[in-house]
Amino acid sequence: MAKRSIVPFGPQHPVLPEPVHLDLVLEDETVVGAIPSIGYVHRGLEKLVEKRDFKQYPYVAERICGICSCGHGLGYCMAVEEIMNIQVPERADYLRTIWVEMSRIHSHLLWLGLLADAMGFESLFMESWRLREKILDMFDETTGGRIIHSVNQVGGVQRDMDSAMLNDILRAIKDIESQLKPVINTFLQDYTVQSRLKGAGVLSREDAIALGAVGPMLRASGEPYDVRMLGYGAYKDLSVEPIISTDCDSYARCEVRLKELLQSFDLIREAIGKIPEGSINVSVKGNPAGEYFVRIEQPRGEAIYYVKANGTKYLDRFRLRTPTTSNIPPMVEMLKGCQLADVPILILTIDPCVSCTER
Amino acid sequence: MERTRYFTFARRIIGNLFRKPATVGYPYEPVEYPERMRGHVEIKIEDCITCGLCARSCPSQAIRVDRKAGTWTINRFDCVQCGACVRGCPKKCLFMAKGYTEPDVTKKSDTYTKPHDEEKEGKRGEEKPVMDVTKCMYCSLCAKKCPQGALEVNRKELVWKVDREKCIGCAVCALTCPKKAIHMEKG
Repeated sequence: MAKRSIVPFGPQHPVLPEPVHLDLVLEDETVVGAIPSIGYVHRGLEKLVEKRDFKQYPYVAERICGICSCGHGLGYCMAVEEIMNIQVPERADYLRTIWVEMSRIHSHLLWLGLLADAMGFESLFMESWRLREKILDMFDETTGGRIIHSVNQVGGVQRDMDSAMLNDILRAIKDIESQLKPVINTFLQDYTVQSRLKGAGVLSREDAIALGAVGPMLRASGEPYDVRMLGYGAYKDLSVEPIISTDCDSYARCEVRLKELLQSFDLIREAIGKIPEGSINVSVKGNPAGEYFVRIEQPRGEAIYYVKANGTKYLDRFRLRTPTTSNIPPMVEMLKGCQLADVPILILTIDPCVSCTER
Repeated sequence: MERTRYFTFARRIIGNLFRKPATVGYPYEPVEYPERMRGHVEIKIEDCITCGLCARSCPSQAIRVDRKAGTWTINRFDCVQCGACVRGCPKKCLFMAKGYTEPDVTKKSDTYTKPHDEEKEGKRGEEKPVMDVTKCMYCSLCAKKCPQGALEVNRKELVWKVDREKCIGCAVCALTCPKKAIHMEKG
């Protein structure tokens, strides 16, 4: 047996946008085990729910993560609305859905850029992020913020979009879609990309389910599971089909995310076509009492929001199970047997969001 | 299974060599901000009635209001530009302006002082809530919303009282009243 050694990986590493630490157990160049540890960016945002008015907390919830901020605000608001039996106006549901799908596009484009960067494909990285910039500009125009949107509130949304803005969004996604074609072709067909991704980090369907993988990670292992199918928000009226791949490797994960980008374009077009007129929020009276679980599909996978209220304006507990938390055990499994040089790419294929995980 | 190709991105790379850069030379080139941009909070201090509702609605507790001194203070580095204060302001004297504030090496606050205007002061002091007994149902929502705690409502004894010393004439009670029983009146 080859001599075992432990190589520390992270928390500071060129490929990691956020700090996570792994102790890699190596036999020569082969990884035989990985021990993850987190705790570098804990901010105590869950605890803050006891000190802030429940109507103020969406602003805090949004700041849990810079990439899925819209989804976090939405998940929290949905949970409180369920506790208080608030029926959100149809238009607000549609607006929320459009913004959440836009943030999926921006998250996936960001991930594609990071993946290209991890492979050393700098021009592809720049191209992906240039396209992402158009979505950020649309966020800036429609919500007033590029990253933190502050549009969700308990009872609906704060800002409406007029038809000119909706047309701007349609124009922007058409523009992105046309420019995305060479990017998709490169990711799926280029020899350089394929040689780095094909066959790397295979996670079988059984392992993915047993270890609790979620999101594109699970769907790339062939399991058609997408929380949007539950029909929350405006998804009940839209045609959502889970996008799956059966290759189970890093290439499959990349393929799933690329196809989800195209799906998001279609969903936004469909939602803009069907958006009803009407009010965008309802007034909220009284304080919540009770508890509720909400599941929503974030760009990285299923996120679970738990809210417990005690009848005062301060909540008892807010708990968030993020997709990255549940994707870490499959990642550790996936790392076993790979080469040390592949580790950065494999860690990146789960699309780790450490700020979400630690809150 | 997608087929393998070589140099798939070469055309795009060569095209990019002859294209304008995607970035702008900020700060030397000005950036056009969209209409809705939440850049920073501005105040029309002459309209402010120092009710303190903005400070109460601020999630990051960046705003301080001193009623006696007539000052409104914001810590620009604590402010998260969420716009909650703008929505909370009963007089609509706060608004989100485009553009970011200057960077700095220390956390500093901006303080705005109300201009001392005798005529206005007197006028504002005169406006107090008056209740229409025929419409009021003593729900006490006005008392709950009053930022100064100047209202006292007792449903059992059908009492509705305003403390004229405490009242700042913000008219939040009149806006809150579900029966529109309260209006603002001079004297």
